[in-house]
Amino acid sequence: MLAFLIGEAMRDLRRIGRVGLTAVLLIAISLAALGCFWLLSLNLGRAVHLWRDQVRLVAYLRAEPGSDAVDELVGKVEGLDGVQRVRYVSKAEALTSLRRSLGAQADVVDQLPRNPLPASVEITPDPGHATPDGARDLADRLTALPEVEEVQGGAEWVESLARWQRLLRIIGLAVGGVFALAAILTVTTATTLVLHVRRQEIEVMRLVGASERVIRLPLLLQGTVQGLGGAVLALAALGAVYALVMPRLEPLLTVTLGLPHAAFFGPREMAALLLGGATLGALGGLLAKGRPERW
Amino acid sequence: MIRLHHVSKVYGVGSARIPALNDVSFTLDKGEFAVLSGPSGAGKTTLLRLLYRDEWPTEGEIEVAGFPVSDLRRGQIPPLRRAIGIVFQDAKLLPRRTVFENVAFVLRVLATPRREITPRAFAALKAVGLSARAQSYPAQLSQGEAQRVSLARAIVKSPALLLADEPTGSLDDGMAAEIVDLLRDIWTRGTTVLLATHQSGRFAQIKRRTLTLTGGRLVRDE
Repeated sequence: MLAFLIGEAMRDLRRIGRVGLTAVLLIAISLAALGCFWLLSLNLGRAVHLWRDQVRLVAYLRAEPGSDAVDELVGKVEGLDGVQRVRYVSKAEALTSLRRSLGAQADVVDQLPRNPLPASVEITPDPGHATPDGARDLADRLTALPEVEEVQGGAEWVESLARWQRLLRIIGLAVGGVFALAAILTVTTATTLVLHVRRQEIEVMRLVGASERVIRLPLLLQGTVQGLGGAVLALAALGAVYALVMPRLEPLLTVTLGLPHAAFFGPREMAALLLGGATLGALGGLLAKGRPERW
Repeated sequence: MIRLHHVSKVYGVGSARIPALNDVSFTLDKGEFAVLSGPSGAGKTTLLRLLYRDEWPTEGEIEVAGFPVSDLRRGQIPPLRRAIGIVFQDAKLLPRRTVFENVAFVLRVLATPRREITPRAFAALKAVGLSARAQSYPAQLSQGEAQRVSLARAIVKSPALLLADEPTGSLDDGMAAEIVDLLRDIWTRGTTVLLATHQSGRFAQIKRRTLTLTGGRLVRDE
């Protein structure tokens, strides 16, 4: 029976020809648009995750503490709520770091009459405090310590990245949604055409006592096949664009977002796109109107 | 097999009310052969359509093959129709399928086991004398042959009741005689037959019951 129903669905697809192909292409375009924004959002999400892990606050000290006072200060900061890790940076270490970062211009440091850099404490907030509000709250509490002169750093820009990620996701859903609606309508039109082409068969099926399930299932199947076809095309197009464009974009990504490479969809995302395509097609098949013969 | 109890049917077209059947009652037992006769517009086709629930009565009760047709819910219509074979004046064959496929199509959509489909379809074609034309398309058949395929399609599912609406209406006398013979064969094998015709004389050779409709009323039952 299933073989018969699948055979009927394939026969329907051949009959509707160009309309069916248009439906497949529209589904492919809608899913490719959605997938494109999804990929961007996915990679921005990776950058947000990466940078959230690297949120640091630096508390500059009024004076360099003695060796005994360092442990006490570090212990005090570690005791603050929201602190994951603390590293003390002495004046000398700060100067060495500056020299290293200046590279060829490191000689400038040697011209200084004395070390102008303050000792500091580098604080890594725990994940719950690696947000603008959390980091601000932690900075306020660090500033309240008598040893601390000034606190720098925060998570604003990471959050701004996260906002972009959310925006991209919304744009992707909106653009994909509009195309998806068009795709559903096209599949519906294609299926209505099938109903028209098959009106004699459907009339005979009803007269001999075929169940509505047997009559409708080929329509649902051909819609689903169109949807799956569209999803496969969309994935292939996205994969091709990724393979062509990414090698050129990766250096830019590394510099701007700190990502070593851009990721493509994993098996779960691919399955979701395929399922999305199949659902779009099936919906189009289900929504088709046209009952040539009434009961 | 069939029981009609004070059945009326009125069609509504806009505000107009057009009566098609008026207080029709009769019973047809299992194994009977009955001809529903009357002039065009007498209500013969409407009566047949009520029996296979393509229409529903305005008043009265109908029972067919144990199904309470007048109270039938939509989901029960397919089982009712599986018990009935239906033949129309225009054979309603599927033009893109061969003669064999037209007959086998019925078995396929009724989820008949695959191994049974070919032998049963060929047996039905053999019964109407068309097994040699199994691979022909409807366009290659004469009207009489097309009607015989339509008969094969109706009997392939072994229905308890065969309804035929003007099965010889568009045939010449020779072809009509073939169809009459086939209907008699089907009846003698135990199928109850009710056929609507305005040419009841063509069925004179069959010892049958005749129900005569005029203006939507059953005026004679003999």
